[in-house]
Amino acid sequence: MSESIIRYSGRQARAIKTFLGRFLGYGGAQVGLVCLAFFIVVAAVPDILVGPLQTAINATGEFLAPPSSQHVLGTDEVGRDVLNLVVHGARISLTIALLATVISLVVGTTIGMTAGYYGGVVDVWLMRFTDFFFVMPSFVLALVITPVVVEVIGRGQEILGFRPSLFVILVVIGMTSWAFVARIVRSQTLSLKERTFIDRARVVGSSNFSIMVRHILPNLVPQIAANGALVVAGAIFVETSLSFLGLGDPLQPSWGTLLSLAQRAGAASAGAWWYLGAPGACVLTVSLSFVLIGNALDDTFNPRRRVIP
Amino acid sequence: MPDTANILQLESLQVHFPIQGGLFDRVLGRPAGAVRAVDGIDLSVGRGEIVALVGESGSGKTTVGRVITKLAQPTGGKMLFEGRDMTSVQRASALRPYRHRVQMIFQDAYQALNPRHTIFDIVAEPLRSLRLVDNRKQLADRVSEALASAGLNPPGDFFARFPHELSGGQRQRVVIAGALAVKPELIVADEPVSMLDVSIRAQILQVLVDLRHKHNMALLFITHDLPLAWLIADRIAVLYLGKLVEIGSADEITFQPRHPYTVALLNATPQMGGDAGRAEVPALQGEVPSAARVPKGCRFHPRCPLAFDRCRQEEPPPIEVGPKHLAACWLAN
Amino acid sequence: MIDSSHHKASLLEVDGLSIDYGLKGISSRAIDGVSFALRAGEAVGLVGESGSGKTTTAMAIAGLLSPNARVSSGEVRYRGNRLPIDDDAAMRPHRWTETSVVFQGAMNALNPVHRIVKQIAEPCMLKLGMSRGEATGRARELLELVGIPADRGAAYPHELSGGMRQRVMIAMALACRPSIVIGDEPTTALDVITQAQILKLLGELRSQLNLALILITHDLSVVAECCDRVMIMYAGRIVEDGAVSEIFAKPKHPYTRLLIDAIPNPANGKKMIRPIPGDPPNLLTRPSGCVFHPRCPSAIGICATEVPSLEKCGQGRVACHLHRSSQQDRVSVHA
Repeated sequence: MSESIIRYSGRQARAIKTFLGRFLGYGGAQVGLVCLAFFIVVAAVPDILVGPLQTAINATGEFLAPPSSQHVLGTDEVGRDVLNLVVHGARISLTIALLATVISLVVGTTIGMTAGYYGGVVDVWLMRFTDFFFVMPSFVLALVITPVVVEVIGRGQEILGFRPSLFVILVVIGMTSWAFVARIVRSQTLSLKERTFIDRARVVGSSNFSIMVRHILPNLVPQIAANGALVVAGAIFVETSLSFLGLGDPLQPSWGTLLSLAQRAGAASAGAWWYLGAPGACVLTVSLSFVLIGNALDDTFNPRRRVIP
Repeated sequence: MPDTANILQLESLQVHFPIQGGLFDRVLGRPAGAVRAVDGIDLSVGRGEIVALVGESGSGKTTVGRVITKLAQPTGGKMLFEGRDMTSVQRASALRPYRHRVQMIFQDAYQALNPRHTIFDIVAEPLRSLRLVDNRKQLADRVSEALASAGLNPPGDFFARFPHELSGGQRQRVVIAGALAVKPELIVADEPVSMLDVSIRAQILQVLVDLRHKHNMALLFITHDLPLAWLIADRIAVLYLGKLVEIGSADEITFQPRHPYTVALLNATPQMGGDAGRAEVPALQGEVPSAARVPKGCRFHPRCPLAFDRCRQEEPPPIEVGPKHLAACWLAN
Repeated sequence: MIDSSHHKASLLEVDGLSIDYGLKGISSRAIDGVSFALRAGEAVGLVGESGSGKTTTAMAIAGLLSPNARVSSGEVRYRGNRLPIDDDAAMRPHRWTETSVVFQGAMNALNPVHRIVKQIAEPCMLKLGMSRGEATGRARELLELVGIPADRGAAYPHELSGGMRQRVMIAMALACRPSIVIGDEPTTALDVITQAQILKLLGELRSQLNLALILITHDLSVVAECCDRVMIMYAGRIVEDGAVSEIFAKPKHPYTRLLIDAIPNPANGKKMIRPIPGDPPNLLTRPSGCVFHPRCPSAIGICATEVPSLEKCGQGRVACHLHRSSQQDRVSVHA
């Protein structure tokens, strides 16, 4: 028996290899992954690449200087190097987006799957609850929550390593994006639970919990993964918007915060295109990478495109 | 040969699905109708007996199977398993001993197997969930044993494979192995061979028949195919629109049918011998009506070539027409 | 309706037809050297299991091959003219006006948002150039022909029962007065009694309209009910071809015999089924020699090495080394 079990793990590895082979066959996936890998490296070691985060105190350049050999992406209104800011911003932006996505996927999948599987009253109430979050504007929610959180935590404190305003952005994005995931997961669960293998699982005595975890969840992975990538793209976007509106933290500047600062410094009217353009291009590239990856995942998992010989 | 004690008994079993009335109906207080999928069935299955439940689509045969396997809840009547009333047992923990003894085989094996599970996990699932094994070694032994008795040899070769890597016949054997793993006393087989190629059917039927011989397992064989029922079953029950119209030994139902519907079914079955030996009865017109609108009187009368006034007014009770042979027809006696 | 001056000659001839399917660079042969002739008004059953090539054969004749199919050899002639079966555009005038198909799943083949009369009228307008009024009249005629009151034409597909929908499919197939109708498992999804009604209807229409009928099925007994002739296919080849009565009484190919034995038949009173060992062949790994030899109980040495050709045997044809007249001595050598 043991050799069969060994063969089993070998097979899993082979299955993953075929999956990767198919996934990487899409041009979109390659472009997306390369871009993303670049930004992850940047976000992982900003200090090594550009040195510590510059502030108004240790700024090194002129005010709003255009790109030069010394400041490849120019400088801002207090003389900080824009490259330095953008590289440090990557860490904040990506962390917020990824963590918010995790919140959104966990909450969305749990609620969507429970609603779809149990149906009836459970479904009605959970979906009304979902609808409530579905229509809630993230900006309003963030504006309402921020002062409360700051009041409770105390100014200058940190929660889980985040400054309060960033923490609020993280939670707000998570709270407003899970409804989308829940709806997709619910509809998928509704069709999955009509499949005969769910009937079989019940006949062989599996509990509801085990049916959800062992039968429904693995079959939801494709949808969750493909939509998860899109949720990340959306989260980056919302994070940028919220920061742009001034909800960000100037001491931990994300790309959105940089855009907001640039806007307030009159970069647009001053013709300082590098100050607006650098963070803007980053937001665009990362969002696009996630969308490309999401689409490629969707195509890879989509059984209609796969031919089983 | 079959024991006289019944392992399963259905007493006027009824499954009605309510029809959701529209908003107008609800406001006006109009009664919502019901789909009478199963409308009062008495049926028993003896220990080690093979009973075939024959009917067309819409006859309620699949619903009966789902009630017995606790996938559907009856709205009336009783279901006794070894004399114990199982009708209202619904809690998962209370059902566990029942699941251990009653298993099911499905029509579409491809649909019945989770595409993301290996054959080992599929066959091991009942053993794990019903907590029938203590350790991995025991689990592997039981899975091997089940795969082997379903005719998948050598069992170890199938452990790590996925359902889509098997042929149709092998997949149906995996479903059978999953049911066998817990060593049940009754298996409900819902059209287990209708999706398979003709040359594979006989292999699968052989496995099912052998189970009875080896383990004295009872089988409720649900099918639309009367000759197939005759081949495999001891007794045949013919179902029409949620009710039994005739029940008796396989030979009597096949060679001396007493209900006009059974006769019509037999006549409609294409035969290789040509038309020789067929009763000269006009072919049936129309199709099975919807179970939401069951005709008054005998439910078969609108299509029956022999119907007369009484059939339109009164529903015939099952009438004994021979030893253990009942037919629900006014013309039967 | 059809000029019957050349009914003696074959209406359709399939000659050495081989078709491959390309799949991600791997090519697999669906049918391999299929040859047969069909006379006008003849009803032929094409019987085989999944992967036998019966559907590919029929779709080739109808000009409905999928884009990844490639004709690697052979040809199909209709009334003596070669059909461009692998050219979608060139087949357009032939398709539906000469050869039409009754598909299996009527619910999928019908458009759920159009009334059935409109769907039947459509091919009349497109193919025969009728006006909307003429085509609607024709559609109502066709409905009556298949046993549906013309007034029901206003119904949508979901309002009809399965048997009625299959009748609508038949009406659509007859719309352009074809001379060949292919039934692709037309009764598989239906109940026994409805199946009998549809088979009876097909039989009646066939004699009424002098249609040639090709019935694709996996069910030998259906063929017994309504065909004159049957061709048994296995793994892309015809293994036996002959009159229905003859084949059922005295099957020559071991596969045919086993298939007949695998169908329960109360008429002969024997409660015995003989399982055919093994699995149906995988098209990617076709056995050498006779494709049936790995499962054949009477296989001899030569079966594994040499492909038996489909040769005349009695009234019909059979592809089996055990039935070659010149083979008798060789059999005894191997025995």
